[in-house]
Amino acid sequence: MTGNETLAPLDNSSGSNAGPLSVSGSKVTDQGVNPRKKFETISLAALLLIAFGLPLVMRSPTYLHIVILIYFYAYLTSSWNMVGGFAGVLPLGHSVFIGVGAYTSTILSLQYGISPWIGMLVGGVLSMGIGVLIGLPTFKMRGAYFALATIAFAEGMRVMVENLDFLGPFNLNGPRGLQIPPLNFGFLNFMFKGKEPYYYIILIMLIGVLVLTWIISRSKLGYYLNAGGEEPEAAMALGVNVARAKLIAMAMSSFLTALAGTFYAQFSLFIHPKSIISLDLSFEIAFIALIGGRGSIAGPLLGALLLRPVSDFSRIYFGDVFPGLHLVIFGVILILVMIYQPRGIQEPLTRAYNRFIDRLSKEEQAKEVS
Amino acid sequence: MLYFIEDTINGILMGSIYGLTALGLTIIFGVLKVINFAHGSLLMVGMYVAYWAVALSGVHPYLALVVVIPVMFLFGYLLQDIVIKPIFKAEKDVREPVTVIIVTTGVWYILDNLSLLFFGPQYRSIQDNPLRGKMFELGEMLISVPKLWGCVTALITAAGVYYFFQYTRLGRAIRATSLDRDAASLAGINQYKIYNIAFGIGTAISGIAAITLIPFYNTFPTVGVSFDIKGFIIVVLGGLGSIGGAIVGGIIVGLIESVGPQFMTATWTEAIVYGLFLLVLFVKPSGLFGEKNDW
Repeated sequence: MTGNETLAPLDNSSGSNAGPLSVSGSKVTDQGVNPRKKFETISLAALLLIAFGLPLVMRSPTYLHIVILIYFYAYLTSSWNMVGGFAGVLPLGHSVFIGVGAYTSTILSLQYGISPWIGMLVGGVLSMGIGVLIGLPTFKMRGAYFALATIAFAEGMRVMVENLDFLGPFNLNGPRGLQIPPLNFGFLNFMFKGKEPYYYIILIMLIGVLVLTWIISRSKLGYYLNAGGEEPEAAMALGVNVARAKLIAMAMSSFLTALAGTFYAQFSLFIHPKSIISLDLSFEIAFIALIGGRGSIAGPLLGALLLRPVSDFSRIYFGDVFPGLHLVIFGVILILVMIYQPRGIQEPLTRAYNRFIDRLSKEEQAKEVS
Repeated sequence: MLYFIEDTINGILMGSIYGLTALGLTIIFGVLKVINFAHGSLLMVGMYVAYWAVALSGVHPYLALVVVIPVMFLFGYLLQDIVIKPIFKAEKDVREPVTVIIVTTGVWYILDNLSLLFFGPQYRSIQDNPLRGKMFELGEMLISVPKLWGCVTALITAAGVYYFFQYTRLGRAIRATSLDRDAASLAGINQYKIYNIAFGIGTAISGIAAITLIPFYNTFPTVGVSFDIKGFIIVVLGGLGSIGGAIVGGIIVGLIESVGPQFMTATWTEAIVYGLFLLVLFVKPSGLFGEKNDW
C-alpha cells in the first residue's frame, strides 16, 4: 500500500463524517450521478423493501413481536434523542410521557368510546404541555440537576397514579392498571387479531420520526440545539435563543413519545403504572441512545437493533436461571462502549461505511476512465 | 400528642440514618461533580459484606465495621479507578460529565443483578443480634434502640468526615480538587488519585450506613434502589456537596415519612417527598446549605 492510498480515505472521511444519511464527502464527478448518492438511494430502497416485506417472510409471531419491540424502542429512543441527543441534556424521566399517552387514549376509549387514534393525538398534546411545563424551569439547570429533576417528576407521577383510583371523572384504577378488553377489532379501534398491522403501524411511525430527526438535524433548529448543547454561553453570545430551541425540542420529543405510549397500550392491551411509568424504561431508552450514539440519526436504531435482541433472547433462554442477565449485559456493553467509543457504535460503523463508499466511487471512476 | 412526639423522635432517628446513606453520595458529587447513580448499589454491596461478616463470625454488628470499612473503601477505589476514570479522561474538558452519570447507572444494573445471581432474591436478616427489635422506653414512648445507635453513628461519621476535610492534609487536597481541578493539578495534586480516594471514602461511608441498617433492615439485591432515589432527594434538599446538609436533608425526609402517615395515607408521603424535592430544585437548586455555584 502506498502512502497516497492511505492518505486518500483519511482525507475523505474528514469531510464526510456527518452520518450515513448525509450526501457530502466523496468527489462529485461532473459526468453522471454521484456514486455515493446512487448507492444510498439503492440501499435505502432495499432497506425499505426488506422492512415492508418482512412480515410476509417472517411468519412466527414470536419473532415478529421481537421486531415490533425493536422498532418500538428505536422510535422511543429517536424521540428521546431530540432532547437527550441534540440538546445535550440527559432526560431520565421519559417514561412519564409514555404513561400520559397510554393512559389518555385508554381512558378515552374505555370510558367514552373515543377511537384510540384520536386519543393518541389528545395524549400527545397533553404530554407536550407537560413536557414544556417540565422544561421551562429545568432547562436552566446543569446536567446532573436536570437528570434528577426529570427522574423526580416521573417517579412522583408514578406514585400519584398508583395512589389514585379516580382523577376527577377519569378512572385510573390505581396500582392495578387498566386492561383493554379485546372485543372490537378493526382499524378504527386500533385493535387487531394478528401482529402484522401493529408491525406496519410502528414501522411507519419509526420512519416518520427518523425522517423528522433528519430534517431537524439539517435545519436551523438542529444547529441551534447543537450549539446550545456544546457551548451554551458561546451560542447565547451569538444570539441563539438556546432555551427556546430546547423547549421546542422538548415539546416535539414529549409529543412523539406519548404516541408510542398509545401504541404500547393498544399492542399489549394492558397498562400498569409500575411497568409503564418506570425508571427502568426511562433508563433503557437512555442506554440505547448512548450505546447507539447520542445525537446521531442512525444511533437509536442501531442501539435498539443491538440491545433489544440481547434483552429478549436472554430473557427467553436464561430467564429462569439468571433473570437479570440482560441488564448485566446492558451495563457491560454500556461501559465498554463509553470507554472505547464515547460517541456510540454509530461512529465506527459510519466510518466503515464511508470507507466502503469511497472505495466504491473509486472503482466507478476507474471504470469511467478506462 | 404522645404518638406525634414518638413519631417525631423515630423520624429523626431514621432520618439521620437516611442522611448517613446519602453522605457518601454528597461527598462524591462534591469532589467529582458526578451524581453517582450506583450509590444505592454500593450500599447494597456494603450490606451484603456486613451481613456475611456478622453472620459468619457471630460478632456484634458494629464490630463488623473493622471489616466493612476497608473492604468498601477498596471496592470504591477500584471501581472509580477501573470503570469511571477512563470515561472521565475521555470527557475531561466537560465540566458536567453527563456520560459518567449514565455509566454509573450501568454499574448499578450490573451490581444489583450480579448480587441477584449470587445471593438469590431472598431477604436476609441477622436473627440473633443483640440489637434486633430492642426498644427503649422513654416515659410511655417506645424508641428503637438500633435506630438510636444508627443516629449516633451518623452524627459521629458526619463530624469525623467534616474534621477530615477541614483539618487534614489529604482532606484539604480533596477540597482543593473539588474547588478547581485544574488549579489543584498545577499545585501538584494528582486529581485522578484524589478522585479515587474520594470515591473510596464515599463508598466506605456507605459501608458504615450498611452496618447501621443491618440490625433492623433486610438485605436483598434491590435494597439499594429505594435508598438511591431517597439519597438524591436528600442531597439536593441539603445542598449537593454539603456534609451537614446531607444529615439535615435526611432528617427532613425521615420526618415526612414518619409523621406524614398521621395525616394521610402512608403511600402519599412518597409523593409529598417528590413534590418537596421538585420545589427545592425549582426555587433554590443549591439546596439548604449548598454552594451557589455548584448547580
